[in-house]
Amino acid sequence: MSSPYIAARGLGKSFNGKPVLADVSFEVEPGDVVGVLGKNGAGKTTLLELVLGFTPATSGGVQLFGYDSYRLPGAAKARIGFVPQQDELVNQLTAADQIGVIASFYPRWDDELVSRLSREWEVDLHQRVKNMSVGQRQKLSILLGLGHKPDVLILDEPVASLDPVARRQFLEQIIEVAADGNRSVVFSSHIVSDVERLANKIWILKDQRMYWQGDFDSLKDSIVRLHARATQPLPDSFTIPNALSVQRNGTTATAIVQGWRAEMHDDLAQQLGAELEVEQLALEEIFLELHR
Amino acid sequence: MFILKPHSGVPIYRQLLDQIRRMAASGHLPPGTELPSIRDLALKHAINPMTVSKVYTLLEAEGVLERHRGKPMTVAAPKRAQSPVAKRLEQLEPHVEHVALAARQLELTEKDVVKALHDSWEKTDEQSVHRRTRPR
Repeated sequence: MSSPYIAARGLGKSFNGKPVLADVSFEVEPGDVVGVLGKNGAGKTTLLELVLGFTPATSGGVQLFGYDSYRLPGAAKARIGFVPQQDELVNQLTAADQIGVIASFYPRWDDELVSRLSREWEVDLHQRVKNMSVGQRQKLSILLGLGHKPDVLILDEPVASLDPVARRQFLEQIIEVAADGNRSVVFSSHIVSDVERLANKIWILKDQRMYWQGDFDSLKDSIVRLHARATQPLPDSFTIPNALSVQRNGTTATAIVQGWRAEMHDDLAQQLGAELEVEQLALEEIFLELHR
Repeated sequence: MFILKPHSGVPIYRQLLDQIRRMAASGHLPPGTELPSIRDLALKHAINPMTVSKVYTLLEAEGVLERHRGKPMTVAAPKRAQSPVAKRLEQLEPHVEHVALAARQLELTEKDVVKALHDSWEKTDEQSVHRRTRPR
């Protein structure tokens, strides 16, 4: 068994005594693609910055490649790629010069990959950063995060300014990284459909905590919307195990159930004296239901 | 080749699993058909390669797909279909007729014969079935 690239335990962060992240634990294995979801202010960026060691944890800590992420040796830093939410490009430089500056830090820099991608993504290397559109800057910023072929790639809202074509090109690049099997990606995004395509693991942050984490397929399999329809009014009181919410209306009821298993169907149908229909939910609906 | 809807409530791995299973069963994907590599299928549909890999592994375990070292996965030949019961009974008929005739000649009752058949049935395990029927 390979050891995880990232391991966090009891991770917490407060600013001026106000917690922005509390008691979060997780692991990222080689080959994982983790999608980080959460409303604005849920703590996504703080979490990613703690993993990167940009800021010390208030409690707990993160191990990155087996080192404390806040005291990461240089050789380990070279194995990380980061694409920040707001790019850190230098306005006065041309794209080519900007790439040159970053490339000089990394012995593993892949010139061929970066030239090819800048052609495919239509990034004009001669243009100065200050004259680039937001989308162009974002593409350049992603190129800079990918160029040294990092083992761990961390992206904070990487596609917010990309058009659908550029987004698909970006997704393909992440798939190339994932197909390697020995590299990992952690990315936060509000574009739930991208997370749906790419992620094999999902972290949902809510109220500064890790509200749900796990295998994406099991999330989709385990959270369902139940529709109960009876010919008689439903019983005055009934319990649906693990229901997150129940709405009833005479002879019908709708419930969101976590941890649904097919075996539960018959018992529940009998208890309610109703026909049950199980509706599986898209990630966006699951996300919305978890935030009701 | 496949229709995958990431936004559907059905997990992508299950959509792919069901489609390959159905297409193999219906002959849409005849035995020996090569499947795309994990990377190619993942890129074509913009999905996580691990999802494809999981599906291929599950289908290999089910016997729907076959893995070949360094070569594409292929659709496996279906297990030889069992012919219907009536057809197989037909093959047994001469033997049964023979037993019935011999039993009458020996003045045995139907009950005696059924009991004898039952005992004989119990004694023949799977192994002896193959041992006896093979040399023909």
